[in-house]
Amino acid sequence: MGLNLQRVNCHMTHALSTQRKSTLPQPEDTWESIAARELPELDLTEATSALQSWNLHVFMRPAAPEGSPRAGNPILPSDVIFLEAPTGPTRGIFGATNE
Amino acid sequence: MDIIIKNGLIVDGSGLPAYSADLGIEDGKIVSIGKVGGDAKEIIDASNKVVSPGFIDPHTHFDAQLLWDGQARPALAHGVTTIVPGNCSLSLAPLKAEHRMKLVGMFNQIEEMPIKAFKEGVEWDWETFDEFLVRIKKGLAINVAPLVGHSVLRLWVMGDESMHRTANPQEIAAMQDLLKQCLAAGAVGLSTSFVDMDETLQPVPSRYADAAELDALASVLGEFNRVLQIVHEFYDIDLTIARIDQLAELSLKHKITTTFSPLFVNADDSELPKRVMARVDEQFARGARVWPQVQTRPVDISFCFEVPSLLFIRLPSWYQVMRFGSHDDIVSAFSDPERRAALAAEAQGMGDLWESLVLRQVNTDDNQALVGKTLKEIATLRGTSAVDVMIDLSLEEDLQAHFLSANMGHIDDDVIGPLLAHPRVHIGASDGGAHILSFATYGDTGYLFSHFVNECHALSLESAVKKITSDTALIWGMPDRGLLREGYVADVTVFDPNTIARGEEYYTQDVPGDGSRYVRDALGIDTVIVGGSVAYTGGGYTDAANGEIIPGAVGDP
Ligand SMILES: [Zn+2]
Repeated sequence: MGLNLQRVNCHMTHALSTQRKSTLPQPEDTWESIAARELPELDLTEATSALQSWNLHVFMRPAAPEGSPRAGNPILPSDVIFLEAPTGPTRGIFGATNE
Repeated sequence: MDIIIKNGLIVDGSGLPAYSADLGIEDGKIVSIGKVGGDAKEIIDASNKVVSPGFIDPHTHFDAQLLWDGQARPALAHGVTTIVPGNCSLSLAPLKAEHRMKLVGMFNQIEEMPIKAFKEGVEWDWETFDEFLVRIKKGLAINVAPLVGHSVLRLWVMGDESMHRTANPQEIAAMQDLLKQCLAAGAVGLSTSFVDMDETLQPVPSRYADAAELDALASVLGEFNRVLQIVHEFYDIDLTIARIDQLAELSLKHKITTTFSPLFVNADDSELPKRVMARVDEQFARGARVWPQVQTRPVDISFCFEVPSLLFIRLPSWYQVMRFGSHDDIVSAFSDPERRAALAAEAQGMGDLWESLVLRQVNTDDNQALVGKTLKEIATLRGTSAVDVMIDLSLEEDLQAHFLSANMGHIDDDVIGPLLAHPRVHIGASDGGAHILSFATYGDTGYLFSHFVNECHALSLESAVKKITSDTALIWGMPDRGLLREGYVADVTVFDPNTIARGEEYYTQDVPGDGSRYVRDALGIDTVIVGGSVAYTGGGYTDAANGEIIPGAVGDP
C-alpha cells in the first residue's frame, strides 16, 4: 500500500484580500486635508463629515482641556484613518484601556 | 561535570516526541544528553518529571522590579528563565534625570506600578541604556532581553515636545542614533504604543510619531536584525488589521520581525480572532513576519478604591475621582448623597457587572463573613443594590475593601485552545510585573500546561513546551537558547507534567515602599536552572546570579 500523499497547493499567490481601506496621516494633516486628498470626488464639507463619521475612534476621542496641546482633539500622527465605512460590528468588550 | 539531571523525560523544545535521558551541564552549557555517567557536583533526580528548556516570557514590564529583585519573583519560580521587559513603548532607559518623574507617572498610569515603589525601591544611578544594563546585571538571576521604549527615545531627544508633535528630520536622526546605541548595548528591539495614555490621560509620546518616524526607527532595527513590538487597538478588528498591515510593510521593507499584543478572544466578538489570523496568514505568505501574541489566562481584575483601576476607565466620574482624588476626596464623594447618586447612575452603564463582583478581602472583623460572596448576594442580605454595597463596604473598610471581577473575557476555551496551538500564534502577553494591584501576571506558563494541555487537550506537552521555548527564542533571535542541545546555554526547567499549575492568586506585601501586589506561587516546578546554576528549587530561591542580557552588547563573545 502506497503512502497517501496529499497534494499540496503550490500556487503561492501573495495577493491580499480586500480589507477596510485606511491611511496614515501625513505631517500637519487635518480632517480637511485628508478629505481633500483621499476623497477628491466628494464635496469637501461632505467628504470631511464622512471621514469623521467613519473614524469615531479619533473623532469622538475624549478631548483634552483647553490650553493643552491636544485641545480640540486633533488627529494624532500615529492614528489610522479609515477611508470607508465599517462593514460590521468591530468593537469588543474591553473598550480602550491601557495595556 | 557541574550538574547531572538523571532519569528525566526530555521535552527538548523542538516539538519532537519526549524521550527518557539524563542531561549533563558544565560551565553553563548543556554538554551531554543520553546516558550520562560519572560524577557531578550536583545530581538532580528527575524521575517522573519533564526536563525542558527554561520558559521565555516575551511580554513583561519587570523593568522596575529588576532594580530591587534580580530574580523577577515569582516569574523564575514558575520556570521562566528569560523575560522581555520594556514593552508597550516604555522602558527605564535611556532616560535623562529630568524626565524620571514623567516616566514614573507613565508607568504608574499604564502599567499600574505604584509611585512609592519607584521612590523607595529605586536608586536612580543611570541615564543611558548601557548604564541601565550595568545596573540591572548586578545580582541578575534571570535572563533579560530588554526592549527600548519608543516613548522614552522621544522623551530623551525632544523633551516635553515629544508629547505634543511630530519629530523633525534632525530629531528623527537623533532618535535613530540613540536607538543604535541601545541596540549596540544589548537591546533586543524597540517597542511602541498606539493606544496608551499617560498620567494626565493624554496620549503617550510614541503616539505623536508619524509613519516616517517609525519607518526610520524600523530601518535601524533592520540594520541590527532586531524586533519591533507594538501594543495596538486590540479592541477593534479593523484597526487591528490596519496595524497588522502597517507592521507587515515595515517587516518586508526592513526585513525585521514584528509582534503585536494582545490578541484577546471576547465572547461578543467571535469574528476578531478569525479575521485577525486570516490576515496574519496572508501577510506571512507574502514574507512578512507579524506575530500576534495571545495570553493563556482569562482576564480577571481586582480593585479597591485606594488605587485607580482600569476597570473604571470608561466611567469618567468614577475614574476622575479615583485617578486624581486623594483618599479623603474619594471618601467624601462616596459620602455625599448627591455625588453618590450621580456615580451610581453612571455605574448603570456597565450593566450587571457589579452584581457579579466578589468581595475578596476586608480588614474589619464585622465584614469577614462576607468575603467570598458576590455583591448580589451581599445586596440581598442588606436589602440594597450591588453598587450601593460596593460603596458602603468601601466606606466601612476605609477604602480597603477589595473586589474581584472574574472571567471578564478571554475565557472561551474552544477558541483560545486552537488559537494557542496555531503555528503563527506567539504565546505571550502576560504583562508580567505590571498591573500588580489588579491581577497576578505570573504563572501563565503553568496555566498553559494545567489547563490547555492537561484539561482541554488543545496542545500536546511537546508543542506547549516548544511554543514557550524554541519558538520564542527563534522569533526574538535569542541564539543558543530555547532548545535542549549540546552546546546550548543551560537554561533548564524541571517540572511535574501532572501537577504543574499557576497556583492560587493571593495578596502580599513585598513591594518596596510597603506596597502590595497579587501573586501566584508555582505548583509542580521542581528545579529551575539559569546559565548552568540552580536558581530555584522546590525549596526556594538560591543565590545564583547567572542571568544574562540577551542578545547582549554587539561584539560580546
Ligand atoms: Zn504591556
